[in-house]
Amino acid sequence: MHAEQVKHDFEPKVVAFVCTWCTYAGADLAGTSRMQYPPNVRVLKFPCTGRIDPVFILRAFQKGADGVLVSGCHPGDCHYMAGNFHARRRFAAFRALLDFVGVDLNRLQFSWVSAAEGGKWVEVVTELTERVRGMGPMKEFKELELEEQWSASLSTPELKAAYDSIT
Amino acid sequence: MPQIITEANLRSLIDSLVKESKLVVGPKEAGSMVLYQPLSNGADLKLGALPRRSSKELFFPICEDILTFGKEDGVTKVKDVDRASFPDAVLIGALPCDAGSPSILDAVFSWDYNDDFYLERRKKSTIVGIACTSCDDACFCTAVGYAPDSPAGSDLFLTPLKDGSYACNAVTEKGEKLVSAHGSLFKEGAAADAAPLAAPDTAKLDLAKIKEWLNTHFEDPLWQSIADVCLGCGACAFICPACHCFDINDEGTPDHGTRRKHWDACGFGKFTNHASGHNPRDIQNKRYRNRIMHKFKYYDDKFGKTLCTGCGRCIRACPVGIDIGDILNKINVQAG
Amino acid sequence: MNAKAQKAKGCGIEPAYYDAVTQAIRSEAVKVLKEGAVSAVIGYLPGRRKSAAVPAVVTTEEEAGRLIFSPACVNNLSLYLTKAKKGILPGGKIGIVAKGCDLRALAGLMGESQIKRDDLFIIGINCAGVQGAVAAGNGQLTEASIAKKCRECTAHTPEGVDFVAGTLPHLDGLTPLEAEELARIEAMPQAERWAYWKEQFSRCIRCMACRQVCPFCYCEQCLCDKNRPQAVESSPRPAGNTAWHIVRAMHLAGRCAGCAECERSCPMDIPLNLLNRRMAQELKELYDYEASMAPQEKGPLNQYKEDDDQSFIK
Repeated sequence: MHAEQVKHDFEPKVVAFVCTWCTYAGADLAGTSRMQYPPNVRVLKFPCTGRIDPVFILRAFQKGADGVLVSGCHPGDCHYMAGNFHARRRFAAFRALLDFVGVDLNRLQFSWVSAAEGGKWVEVVTELTERVRGMGPMKEFKELELEEQWSASLSTPELKAAYDSIT
Repeated sequence: MPQIITEANLRSLIDSLVKESKLVVGPKEAGSMVLYQPLSNGADLKLGALPRRSSKELFFPICEDILTFGKEDGVTKVKDVDRASFPDAVLIGALPCDAGSPSILDAVFSWDYNDDFYLERRKKSTIVGIACTSCDDACFCTAVGYAPDSPAGSDLFLTPLKDGSYACNAVTEKGEKLVSAHGSLFKEGAAADAAPLAAPDTAKLDLAKIKEWLNTHFEDPLWQSIADVCLGCGACAFICPACHCFDINDEGTPDHGTRRKHWDACGFGKFTNHASGHNPRDIQNKRYRNRIMHKFKYYDDKFGKTLCTGCGRCIRACPVGIDIGDILNKINVQAG
Repeated sequence: MNAKAQKAKGCGIEPAYYDAVTQAIRSEAVKVLKEGAVSAVIGYLPGRRKSAAVPAVVTTEEEAGRLIFSPACVNNLSLYLTKAKKGILPGGKIGIVAKGCDLRALAGLMGESQIKRDDLFIIGINCAGVQGAVAAGNGQLTEASIAKKCRECTAHTPEGVDFVAGTLPHLDGLTPLEAEELARIEAMPQAERWAYWKEQFSRCIRCMACRQVCPFCYCEQCLCDKNRPQAVESSPRPAGNTAWHIVRAMHLAGRCAGCAECERSCPMDIPLNLLNRRMAQELKELYDYEASMAPQEKGPLNQYKEDDDQSFIK
C-alpha cells in the first residue's frame, strides 16, 4: 500500500552522492523492500566515497540543490580498503571550509549506509529532506548565479536604489 | 573665457546625470582600494587616487553575456543580447592614462570585425577626464607620450585649479553637449592658477627606436631573463587600460546556457594552446615577449598606436616585480 | 598598552640587519658558485623602484655579488623549483635563499616528492620580517608596512638548512591582526560570513595570480581550467569566483605552508590567507597536523586513522 502523499508548499531538491557498493545497494534494498522515502532525492552513484570530490557538492549547490547527502560504506567495509577513511578526513575539512564561507551545514549530510541498511537509508533521506524543507530553498548559490560584475549588468541594483533615493 | 566648475557642482553634475538614468561611473572607494564603479551620487566620487583597475571595463566588461541558448520543444533557440539596452554612460574622473585607452582600442575593435558589444558601449559613453596631480615611482605616462594633463581620449577635460574648482575644456562634441545640457553648473570666468600636476620621474622613451629594436630582436636573451621569473598570471593584463584580449566560453548545460566573453591574458599558458595540444607559445618567455611585442610593435604595425598609457599598474601589481618601465628603458638603451 | 604600541612602531629592526643578511647571502652564494657546489642560486636582486626586489636565478659570481635581502624580498622562491616553472633552471644542484615560511614550502614540496633535499643548497635567513602589500616609501620596515604574516611569525629561525644568513635582531611583539580578523569572522553569524565572503570574492577578476604564485599549485592541468566537463566556471563572475576560491582553499588544505603569497599577490586585496589559516587551524585541531620546516611523509588528507572523528557522520 502506498502511503498518502502529503502536499507541501516547497519540495526541496536533494542530491545524494553514494558509493555503489554499500549505500547504493542499501537504497536498492529499501526499494525492493517497498519502503517509502521522499522522492526528492536524486541519487548519483560513484565507485566509492573516496571518488566524491568536494567540488561535486559545490556544483550541486550551485546548480540548484537545496540539500546534499554523501553516503558510503561503514568504516572498515570499504570495497577499496580505505576510500571511505580518506573521504572522512576530506569531508571533515570541507565542512569546516563551507562553514567558514557561510554555508549552512544543515543542508549537507554525511552518512554510512550499508547494503543491508535499507531502513537507515530511508531514515537518513527522510530526515535530511524534511530538515531542508523546513529551511526553505537554498538561496545563496542561486542568487550568486544571477549576479554579474557591474560592467556587465545592464542596470545595477545600486543604480536602481540611487534613482529611488534621488527622485 | 574658459568654463569653470566647482567641486560641489561637479558632484551635483553626477547627481543630475544619475537622475537622468545615465550610468555614471567614476573612482569610488571600495574597501582597501579605489575602483571605477557606478556612482549612486556625487558624494561617491573619490578623486586623487589611481583606481586599482583601469576604466576599460566600462567598454569591455570583465565578463559579459553575448548570447543565451535554451531548448524549447526540443529545438535549440538562440537569443542575442540586445545591444540597444546598453545604458548611456558617463565616465567621470578618468585620469589621462585611463581616458586615453578607449581611443587606442577603437582601432582593434572595429578592424576586421565590428565588435558591437564594445562599439555600442563606446558610442553611448562620454568620458570626462581629469588632469592628474599625484603619482608614484611606478608611473611613466610621460615616457610613452602621455602626460598628466593630456586630454587625449577625453570628451570633456577637467584641470584642477588651486582654488579647488576645475577648468573645463570640451574636447569633442560629446563633451560640449554635456556642458550645454548642464549649463547652470558651469560658469564662465577667469581661471585661478592650475594646481600642480603630477611629475612622473621618468625619461621620455623613443618609442620608434624601441619598435625598431623589437623588429629585429624576436630572439633575444632579454626575453629569457624576464620570463625566468614571470609567473604566467594575468594580473598585469587585467588591470591594464590597454590590454584587450578576451576568451569566449559556453557555460551551462546543453539544454540551457550562456555564451560569455571575458578577459583573457597572453601570459596564461593556455592562451595559445591549440585543440591538438600543440602550443606555439609553450614557454613563459615566448608569452612575455608577446606582451611587449604586442604593445610596442604589433599594434603599432597595424594601427599606428602604442598599447600603453604608462599608468604603471602592471608594475605595482606584478607579484614578482617585473617592471615594464625598466624593460623599456633597457631596450631604449640597447637600441642606442 | 600604549607603551607597547609605541615601542613596536619601528619594529625595532635596523637597516643594518638587512645589510648584514645581504652580505652573508652574497658571500655564501659567490662561494658555492665558485666552488661549483651549485649551478645556480635563486635569490633576490634589487628592482628599479626602492620598494621592489625581483626574484632571480643567478649563475655567475658577479650576479651573485648583487643579491640582496631587504624588506622587499617578499617572494617565496621555492615556487621556482616546482614543475610549474620547469625549464628555467640549469641542471645540477641549485642554491636557494629561503625565509622560514619559504622553508616550510620547501619541506612541503619534499614531502610531496616534487623536489629532493640532496638537489638543494639552502641558504636560510634569520628573518625579522618583510613588507606587506603596502610598501613604505623609503623601503624601511615599519609597523604599518610589515606583512601581516610576519606579525605572528613562528618561523624566524631557519632549520635544517646548509647556511644561515644573519643574526636575528630583537623583535618586538606585534598584535596578531590576522588572527584577530580570523576570530572576528568566525564569530559572525553564518549569514554574515556568507555576505563577507560574497563581497570579497565578487571583486575577483580571475587573474590567477593566487594560483600561479603558489608553490603548491603545480598541477599541469588545473581543474579550474577544464571546460569539458566544467567543474568550476572559468568566467570571472561572482558564482565562478566563489567556487574557484573554495576549490583553491580545499586543494591547499593540509598542504599550504602559510607563506601567504596568494594574498600578497592578489591585485584585488582578497584576504585569501584567512581561508588557508582557517583550514590549517581545523587540521591542527582534528589531526594535530601543522606545516613545518621538516619534511613530513604524508599530509593530513592523504593519511587516516581508524578512529578519526566522525561525529558529523550519521
